[in-house]
Amino acid sequence: MKTKRLTELSLLTGLALIIFVVELRFPDIIPVPGVKLGLANIITVYAVYKYRAAETFLLVLARVLLGALFASSFSALIYSLSGAVCCLAGMLFLRRIIPLRCMWLCSIIGAILHNTGQIIAAAAVIRSFAVFAFYPILIICGSVAGAFTGICAQLIINKINVK
Amino acid sequence: MTKGIKICLVAVLTILVISAVMAAIMIGPKKVEAPQYVEIVQDNKILYRIDLRQEKDRTFRIEYPDGGWNDITIENSEISVTDADCPDKTCVKSGKLRNENFPIICLPHRLVIRFSEQGERNENKTTD
Repeated sequence: MKTKRLTELSLLTGLALIIFVVELRFPDIIPVPGVKLGLANIITVYAVYKYRAAETFLLVLARVLLGALFASSFSALIYSLSGAVCCLAGMLFLRRIIPLRCMWLCSIIGAILHNTGQIIAAAAVIRSFAVFAFYPILIICGSVAGAFTGICAQLIINKINVK
Repeated sequence: MTKGIKICLVAVLTILVISAVMAAIMIGPKKVEAPQYVEIVQDNKILYRIDLRQEKDRTFRIEYPDGGWNDITIENSEISVTDADCPDKTCVKSGKLRNENFPIICLPHRLVIRFSEQGERNENKTTD
């Protein structure tokens, strides 16, 4: 990995963490476990289209681990980690199919996969299928949030490509 | 638009419609009679089974061997989590248990509070 590449990735990780920490201050709108805006995923979606698979994976891994450290919520780490892995695997596959100008669609599917991973991890942890009751709500909220982050990432990529 | 995008778009829309319908059904019209029994479950073990209609108003604390607690309040035959030491406090924000499809869940403490169909076992405390 070249130094320039490494610097760019660290910068993006830093940015994602800043967004993540700022978002921690937002009040929860819907009292359902797992519903979040996930603004830090703007960086994830951006990286999926800009960098190689391994690089994106490292970026997201660093963001999730450090994010858990900053939020001091290690019990939530397993949910965000499994969600992030599902989401990333799906998006890295979909970037072959979905072109740059339809990034928002990729982001929505990523969000749905993220929620799926999260809820499977939650069901495994509490050893009960009770959490699946929230799955439809999570999917709807996740799609809205995913569309938002996707559009944000698309705007950013358009701006940067113009240069 | 290529074929791949169309498939993705259709898939997303289908999933959205299905989940919207599911959510509507689950949130939708309540049964006339509210369920009577409530189970407090942790790690798939029933800690308490409570008959809400016979229970007096009270608050009690559930503590866990690995640290952490939830304060559970029963008031006017309704149950809610009033305080907890978890960072997100989602269980407190969910308010009173009203819908049998949506349990109160505290993920950090792996706690589930839900309505129970079968109330044959009438004792207040059941520890499996």
